[in-house]
Parts: sequence; C-alpha cells; structure tokens
Amino acid sequence: MDVILQMGVSGALMGLVYALIAYGFQLTFATSKSINFGQGELVMLSAFISLTLTNIGLPYWLMVPGGLLCGVLLGLVVERVAVRLALEQKSEGWILMTIIFGLFAFSAAENIWGRDDHPFPTPISSEPMHFFGISVTPVELSVAIGVLSVMGLIELFKRKTLWGKAFEAVAADRDAAELMGISAKRTIMLSYGLSGLVAAMAGILVSPITTVGPTMASALILKAFAVAVVAGLDSGFGVVLVGLFLGALESLASYYIGSGWREAPGLILLILALAMKPNGVFGKVSIRKV
Amino acid sequence: MKKMLLAALLLGFSTQLFAADSIKLAITGPFSGGSAPMGTSMRDGAKLAISEINAAGGIVVGKKKMKIEIIERDDEAKNDRGALIGQELASMDDLSGVIGSVNTGVVIAGDKHLQEKGITKIICPAAGSASMTQWADKADKPGPKDLSIFRFAAHDGIQAAMVVEEAINRKLTRVAIIHDATNYGVSGRDDLLNQIKLQGNKLDVVATEKFNIGDKDMTAQLLKAKTAGAQAILIWGIGPELAAVSNDMDKIGLKIPLIGGWTLSMSNYVDNAGKNGNGTLMPQTFIEEPITPRIRAFINAYHKAYKVEHIPSPVSAAQGYDAVLIFAAAVKQAKSTDTKHIKLALEDLKEPVKGVIATWVHPYSTWNPADEQTHEAFRRENVVMGMVKDGSVVFANEADKQRLIKQAK
Repeated sequence: MDVILQMGVSGALMGLVYALIAYGFQLTFATSKSINFGQGELVMLSAFISLTLTNIGLPYWLMVPGGLLCGVLLGLVVERVAVRLALEQKSEGWILMTIIFGLFAFSAAENIWGRDDHPFPTPISSEPMHFFGISVTPVELSVAIGVLSVMGLIELFKRKTLWGKAFEAVAADRDAAELMGISAKRTIMLSYGLSGLVAAMAGILVSPITTVGPTMASALILKAFAVAVVAGLDSGFGVVLVGLFLGALESLASYYIGSGWREAPGLILLILALAMKPNGVFGKVSIRKV
Repeated sequence: MKKMLLAALLLGFSTQLFAADSIKLAITGPFSGGSAPMGTSMRDGAKLAISEINAAGGIVVGKKKMKIEIIERDDEAKNDRGALIGQELASMDDLSGVIGSVNTGVVIAGDKHLQEKGITKIICPAAGSASMTQWADKADKPGPKDLSIFRFAAHDGIQAAMVVEEAINRKLTRVAIIHDATNYGVSGRDDLLNQIKLQGNKLDVVATEKFNIGDKDMTAQLLKAKTAGAQAILIWGIGPELAAVSNDMDKIGLKIPLIGGWTLSMSNYVDNAGKNGNGTLMPQTFIEEPITPRIRAFINAYHKAYKVEHIPSPVSAAQGYDAVLIFAAAVKQAKSTDTKHIKLALEDLKEPVKGVIATWVHPYSTWNPADEQTHEAFRRENVVMGMVKDGSVVFANEADKQRLIKQAK
C-alpha cells in the first residue's frame, strides 16, 4: 500500500509539470487557435537563462522574476516571428514556423551553453520529509505549489482585470470582440507572453530535479502535449487533473509492469482520448453554426 | 605489367606520405554530453603524454625523430556518429593509429571499419565486454584470425568480478541489479549475472531493473529493490543517471551499499549526487591521490595544464596517458609509422613501458580469437576498489594503496 502511495505521489508531482506546460498550450490556443510547438525549447531556454542569472550572482528571489521576464519576452518573440504573419494570412504556417523556432533555439542553446547537463542550484532543500509512510522532498512540493499558484494567478487575472476580460472575450468569439473594440492582435500577444511566462516557470521549477541541458524538455513536452489533448485544449484546470493522473499512472506502470513500459500508458490514453473524446475529457464540444 | 606499375606507383605514393614528418594519431570520444567527463579526461590525459613526447623532440622512428600530430573527433557518445568517424578514419591512408572511445555502442558501430582496413586502435576507456568479445570466436561464427583492435581499460569482466566479490565479502545475500538500457548497461548486467554464477551463486538477485539515458525519476526501480529486500544495489550505467539513483535512494530512505562499474567515479556522478554519493564503491584503475612521485607529477601536470582542481575522470585521464606511452613505444619498436607494423609491435612489446598506472610489461600478445585476453592489457591486479568520499574518489581499502606504493618501489 505504501508503495502505491509513494509511486502515485511522486508521479503525480511530476505530472503537475506536464500540466503547467500543457496550460501554456491552452493559453495561446484560446485566443489564436494556434499553439507553439517550440514550447519545450522555451522551457529549456528560460531554464538556461535563469541558471546564467544565478551564476552571475543574483539571489534566488531576484533570479525567479528575471527568469520569468525572459520567458515573457521569448514568448513575444515567438508570436512576432513565427505566428503573427501566418495568422494574418489565415494559414497554418505557424505549425512549421514554431517547430523551426524550436530547432533554432535548440541549436542556439547547444552553441551558447554546450551539450552538457548542469545542476541547477536552489535554496529549497532536497532533504526528504516523511508523511504517512511516504517521502516527499521540499523541491517536489515547491513544484506543486509553484504550478498551482502560477495557474491560479493567471486565471484570476483573466477573470478580474480588464485585460483579462479582453482575453476571455477574444477566446469566446474573436470577431465579436473585435467589433466591441478589443484588439485581437494585442490579446494574442498577451497570450503568447503569458505562455512564455508559464514555460519559464516550468523550467525554473523542474530544473532542480531534472538538471538543465538542451534536451531537458524533449521528454516533458511530448507528455505535456498528451495532457493538453487528453484534457482538451480549452479545459482550463482540466489539465491539472489529467496531469496528476498521467504522472501517477506512468509511475505506477513503471513499477508494476516494468521500467521499460513507463511511457506506454500515456500514449494509450492519448489514443483512447482521440478516438472517444476528440475535444478532450474536459473540453467543450464545439458547436459550429453553418 | 600494368598491375605492377600501379603497385609501384601506389607504393611510391604511400612511402611519400609516410615520409611526412609526423605520426598521425586520432583521438576519438565523447567530448560533450553525459559521457563527456570520461571523453575529455581521456583526451586531455592523452594530450599531456603527447605534449611531453613532442617537447622531447618526438619519437625516434628508424633514423629520425618524429612528432605526434593529433586528429580529434567528437563522437558525442552517439552510435551513428561513431560509425561515421570510423569510416572517415578508415579512409585515411596515412593514419598511424587511433586511441579512444568511451561508449560500447560507439565501439561496436565504428571499430568494424577500422578492423576492415587493419588500422591499429587502442580502445580507451570503454569497458563494456562486448567491445572485445565481438571479435572472439562464437558458436556460430569464428572470430577474425587477425585483429587490429586492442583495449586499454579494465574490462567489465574484471569489474563485475570485483563488484560481486565485494558484495560477497560484505556477507550480503540478497542484491538488486539496476542497469541502463544501453549496450553498456545490458552487457554489464550479463557480466554481473555471469559472475554471480561463477562465484558460487552466493548472491540471490531479488530484482533486475533498468532505466533509460535521461531518466531522472528512479523511484519505481528502487522501490522494487526495497520491497524485495535487497541488501545492496549492483549498478551499471553512466554519471547523470547514477546520480539520480543515489538521490532517489536517499529520498525513499533506502540506506544500502551502491556498488557498480567504474563510471561511479565520473564527476557528473560525484557532483550531482553530492553527499548521497558517500560510500559508493566502484573498481578503479587510478585514484587521484599522489601516493608515488610519478603519480604526483602526473596529477600536478594535469591540474596545471587544464587549470582544474580535480580531474573530471581520473581513471580516463591516466588510461589515456598510459595508452599513448604504450602506442609510442610500439611506434619506436616498429621503426615505422605504418599502422600494420605498429600493430605487430604492440603484440610483442619488448621493452617495459613505465606508465602512471603501472609498469606495463608485454601488455598484449598475438591475437587469438579463442581468447580475447590476448588484446586486453588490464589484469585483476591493476584494479583497486575506490570509494566516494566528500566529493572525491579515494581508496576503499588501505591494503590496495600500500600494495601500489610497494609496487612502485
């Protein structure tokens, strides 16, 4: 019993990171119906930039906002160079463009920081704590707290502020929102900025556990994508539940079926979701008026 | 007639090339990525020996002194890169030899091209058994009669024997084997299982688990070992993942010995595991402790040349250094830069080579496909047990240290 709990909890905490990255997909999809296929590279770049900030001597509490700011800027760059033109032309060019941006970012990181994995210093302890027979490290807990608080704050922002309401309006109906005087262009920029912020947060949170390297996000991103699709690209907090579930499932599968089968349940879940609930478990069924 | 003319032409051509003033030696290995501490330390150790040789004017080849020219190739620990580099080196007609390779998969992908052209290679420091056993006689296929591949590393056969011995000496009976899913990890697991059988089945393997390169979460594998009641973990993998294992052992409160291949001395294990690495045991061919004047000189020279306080992988550095000295001795004896002559000289080295790990007396003999030990330099007595202690690797047994000091005298 302890084993199931331990595996479930360890996995679920990692699952929250998938959820956070998946949330980044959702943000841009809501406003522009486009997603950044280079999101993983944003996570990686922000982690490297944060590591550099730490190395030049910034304390942790200054490094975090610095890293997040870089994430926002990177998100805006993606929107400007890879997405805006394609959206203006109503083409699907953003798919290829964001992939190219990701590849470019990967090469850049390899050339600037090298191909090695670097440990990421954090003031948060990795001494395990024990609750009810299971062990959790404060670093893992910080991931959970960080993920939930950043998502909570963004949701609050969307609901309580004028900019946030504009965001929701564009997400609900872009044309109608434009008629009301809301700039869709600015809102899409905002959504990419927020999505960059979320990616940077994910990078900062997960790096102490995974170390920082050019390939650090390649495994994460595939699972985040699975979470986003299974939950539905407009499911809001649905990604949290699916992320927790997928993370725990992975962990339990690698324990009970064998460590080689770790990835299998996630992929099966993805196929099932696509076959049975194409809009996602928590997605809204889209009604298309003809 | 035409053929003879062509042969004469070619001969003339090649002697002209060989008449060049340098000995071309290729150094290959992963200089980036998870295996990089081994690759770069090997390269830097080898370069240290080369710069000492060149500073003294070079190697006497026949009548004149020739310097060593280095050709460096980064295989990134990737099998496909290893195959490409193997092909490239095999196509150079004035190459005298190759030293390098860290990863067993890379060796398997690349060395066949060198063997085909008869280019002399000293594998260093890849330890996976398959690197050499691939050339040995098998039930369905005899090995090649002539082999240009040598190894200068304590192969996994010796290492696995020592790991199993250590567990038995500690009066343990139940162990878990954890390994990575690469050629190196899988062949390490087979060596361990084989050694357990050879040493009288005194260990009961209660769990066998694997992980992939890049995995950071080892909780599942470790919990299996824990619930099965393992008293020690025998492990085969490389630095970053090994560190993840040590850190997760601490997390789930699994306080049992971690014993495994020499890779547990890699800096990216020792650094990333931090205090959780203390007490970890692994076979070593070289320990960064200045116990003799010769070793002190080597360590100081390395620290000074590369501006470091610790050698990232001392074993690789020392092996790279000694491999170059052995290669140089073979060139001198062969009185030629022709790789085939160097190979023959390596198989019958007349003069002992005073290296930093040991004094190498006739390290290799003529290749016998029924016994790959003919092309292996290391024996059990060249290897000691090392232990991680506060961020560096020290002798696990004082007796080993004293033995080495005595040998040096």
